[in-house]
Amino acid sequence: MNIVNSAVLDASTGWIILAVFSVVWIFLGWFWGRKAKQLDDFMLAGRNVGMALGIATAMATWVTSNTTMAAPQLALQLGIWGMLGYSLGSVGLMLFAPLAKRIQLLMPAGYTSGDFIRLRYGKFAWRVFLLISLFYGLGWLISLGMAGGVLIHALTGIDYQIGMTVILTICVVYTLLGGLRAVIGTDFLQTIIILVGIVILAWLVIDNVGFEPMHKAVLQERPELLNLLMPAAIMFLFNNLLFGVGEIFHSNVWWSRAFAFRQGVGFKAFLLAGLFWIPIPIVAGFIALATPALGLNVPAADMVGPMVAAKLLGFGGAVLVFIVVFSALASSLDSLLAATSDLVLQDIYRGHFRPQATKDELRKAVRWIVVLLGVITWLLCLPRLTTLASLLYFTGAFVASTIWPIIAGLYSKQASSTGASIAMLTGTVIGLWSYFAIGFYVAALISAVVSMVIVLFSMWYKPDNFEWNILNEQIKEKVS
Amino acid sequence: MMASSGFLSTLVSIALTFTIIAPVVLIILWIKDWIRGQLW
Repeated sequence: MNIVNSAVLDASTGWIILAVFSVVWIFLGWFWGRKAKQLDDFMLAGRNVGMALGIATAMATWVTSNTTMAAPQLALQLGIWGMLGYSLGSVGLMLFAPLAKRIQLLMPAGYTSGDFIRLRYGKFAWRVFLLISLFYGLGWLISLGMAGGVLIHALTGIDYQIGMTVILTICVVYTLLGGLRAVIGTDFLQTIIILVGIVILAWLVIDNVGFEPMHKAVLQERPELLNLLMPAAIMFLFNNLLFGVGEIFHSNVWWSRAFAFRQGVGFKAFLLAGLFWIPIPIVAGFIALATPALGLNVPAADMVGPMVAAKLLGFGGAVLVFIVVFSALASSLDSLLAATSDLVLQDIYRGHFRPQATKDELRKAVRWIVVLLGVITWLLCLPRLTTLASLLYFTGAFVASTIWPIIAGLYSKQASSTGASIAMLTGTVIGLWSYFAIGFYVAALISAVVSMVIVLFSMWYKPDNFEWNILNEQIKEKVS
Repeated sequence: MMASSGFLSTLVSIALTFTIIAPVVLIILWIKDWIRGQLW
């Protein structure tokens, strides 16, 4: 696919925007991270993050390429339910609010989601969980890296590989300089840019096309997009809800925030972030419904958002959408790099190879891990393997299988190691089968249901009697 | 059952309103945290 000729911005404008934002993010990453001398400062921003930064980082991390690029794509594929289904991704953020409170209560000295699984369910379940979590983390990183390359190519004609390399490099550099403090600080600014940007874009689409002509054109050319009883779209809605819950409940991106927020902040921050997130996929997605009215021929579904903005708004619109999606990508890429490197450090490096490592050694190792993750992501992004949404939904079968082991593990003494391990493995396998046999829109749904049945059955058939203080005391011993 | 033009415009207008409110609330909270020295 080559859309160089249809790119609205010339490559030199693209390079100027990239250069300006690279300097800003890297400077801020250094500035906010310069005091991060201790391991807890680098990994968890000193465990003292306040309400405003807490809400913004949760929102910014959850507003990714998936929202700004795949929401229009899903609106074009699944219509109104595609947008609404995407907005149900916010349920995961809101449901994580009580979990964040519980996590801080049970594990005030914790570092990663892996810590919880290891202490709660033992080593086998921990390894199964790590496989799922790292696969998902890498899948999300690849999806974001590819989105960066696609965006830059779509808007400026700059080669996909070069654009993807630049975005990855910027995020690796400022995460390296400031750790989670840099990530959370830049997330606040990126949230404001994203929100203001998509409001302007949506406003201009309404002003230029209007609801009535947009509706009339969709009704004539793609009536199925307005069908409120489209079966695949309704399945997608529930699937996306569970996928979002699975992503958030298991991922260290969110657990690291639960550990990083000041006492009393976690619950409110996640709840408000979820509420503020609900409308974003609708606002970002509905512009795709303007394509029939505009007579726009979209060569690849995941490029519909940037193409509509560029077609409608010309140079200014192209610059705006470029900045918005660049901010959305950076805010998620940096979070994922930081959280995945924490998971690799704590659960692979320290957990499997260097249990006696000092904090000094770990502080150095975490920086190498950030670079290594960046390089691996770059290598896997080089060939553009699949469309963004299908890659992302492939991981749905994996993450949804962790929902019930995590909920049960946090709230019930009866949840057992065997039940959790079998639930994660079986849920993943059957979810993957349904992905290929039925479709991407049911993988998470089926995986979550299978996992739930197994966890509940195991709690009834052979209940455990877990001691909650193990979660706190063993971490304290290890840290000291 | 097809969504009407009115349904579409109401849905998007509500979503747009909340998206406008969100950054305002975030900036107010930031100022509040900053004054109290509780940003992080």
